[in-house]
Amino acid sequence: MPLQEKLTSGEFVILAEMEPPKGTDVSSMVASATGVKRMVDAFVVPEMNNAVMRLSSLGGALLLQTKGLETVMQVCCRDRNRLALQGDLLAAQALGIPNVMAVAGDEITHGDHHQAKAVNDLNLLELLAAIQTLKTGRDLAGVDLKGAPQFLVGATVKVTGDAGALKQELADLDKKIAAGARFFTTQPVFDVEVLEKFRRQVGKRPAAIIPTVMLLKSVGMARYINTHMEMKIPEAFVTRIQKSSDRVRECVQIAAEFVAAVKKQGFPGVLVSTIGWEDKLPSILAAAGL
Amino acid sequence: MIKAVPKPLEEVLDLVKDFTKVLIVGCDGCVTVCEAGGSKEAKVLASALRLYFTQAGKQAQIDETSLTRQCEKEYLAQLSDKMDAYDAVVSLACGCGVQYMAEMYNNKIIYPGVDTCFLGVNEERGLYAERCQACGRCILAETGGVCPIARCSKRMLNGPCGGSDQGKCEISKDVPCGWELIYERLKTLGQLDRFEKPVDPKDWTTSRDGGPRTIVREDLRI
Repeated sequence: MPLQEKLTSGEFVILAEMEPPKGTDVSSMVASATGVKRMVDAFVVPEMNNAVMRLSSLGGALLLQTKGLETVMQVCCRDRNRLALQGDLLAAQALGIPNVMAVAGDEITHGDHHQAKAVNDLNLLELLAAIQTLKTGRDLAGVDLKGAPQFLVGATVKVTGDAGALKQELADLDKKIAAGARFFTTQPVFDVEVLEKFRRQVGKRPAAIIPTVMLLKSVGMARYINTHMEMKIPEAFVTRIQKSSDRVRECVQIAAEFVAAVKKQGFPGVLVSTIGWEDKLPSILAAAGL
Repeated sequence: MIKAVPKPLEEVLDLVKDFTKVLIVGCDGCVTVCEAGGSKEAKVLASALRLYFTQAGKQAQIDETSLTRQCEKEYLAQLSDKMDAYDAVVSLACGCGVQYMAEMYNNKIIYPGVDTCFLGVNEERGLYAERCQACGRCILAETGGVCPIARCSKRMLNGPCGGSDQGKCEISKDVPCGWELIYERLKTLGQLDRFEKPVDPKDWTTSRDGGPRTIVREDLRI
């Protein structure tokens, strides 16, 4: 069932992140995605996550679409101006990519090409508005299009436990909804209570909030995230991995528990980020009872 | 120097029309040289605003003053006794001055009275032209003293794009091709070999792309 239809039906949606390779050898990406094809409703193909140069989201999404897999292409404000963004969006529709997600993009200084010039010609809300404009059959210059895209449009939302930040995030969420976004993925979340509180605050807004569950791959990875990134992993998870006799299995179990919690809380779906360990996706979903 | 142009009077009027006590503050620095925001322009703007309020039948107090520079705290501090007497201030300084005044007088409404445009030169009176984009890593030694970032429309760093016609840029016949200027100057200097050396893609981290910039000169700090 197409993603748009499934979200409308109320069935629990499973998205999987599928990062394109840094290079032209796409065999691993394609094999990883096709291996879990039956379990996943759509593959989210990031546009150079963390500003690390990789094969583009448009290219990656098209590759998977040609294998019969539904994808969500990301369009990113950081690297393209309004001409390139619109051109890629038209290309995506013409090539059969049905879903797009607008993202602002991580700072260039965080990536591996830190000397590059950032574009940011349109901001996130302007990009969402641009997509809506294209859907009406015109471009940003007001010129008629020969054939208009009909994407399901998404964006990102940040889950936060901080009252002030939450208020701002919800205000931003309303603006994104008004600009046409209908589904939202979150940053990887590791705190079920914060997530539940966030869900209650979002309430009945007309938007499908899809939390991201990230598969931790080691204690070192958890420590790195806790040291360098804004999101924090509760120490209890780190200890569980540390004390386990089968650490990989424990990592899978933790992710599965989180996926199950997301479903139980009543979210319409989950985005599973396995960062190279796509072969663990079946175990995660099975352990989560999906 | 920083070049600016006065904002259209209608735009300034729209900003201040609901206030009754407005101070116009000129800056005796760069914006005086390009005749956009010095003491003379502050007087002219204040007169125009007074005329508007009089014609609109509104009671308003419009005063003007000017500071040596608005990008330095010591000069901005000279306004401290006056600020409470006004509802709003229109700063005629460049964007730096407006922001620094707003930082210093946090509770006061500060509006810009000019549009800050670029770093440029006075080609003639009333004719100012861009020369520098303050990228943070000067390459003029390599390009014959002509900056391709400021003067080539495409900011190309390895020679012309091929779109110029008789020394003029393809965007307008009034704009010289930056790389034509570079070539001619290197030829005059006998340094055409520099034209042959390819350069790597530019490191933009020292430009605005690395985020807001700060200079720390430990040798100057007290």
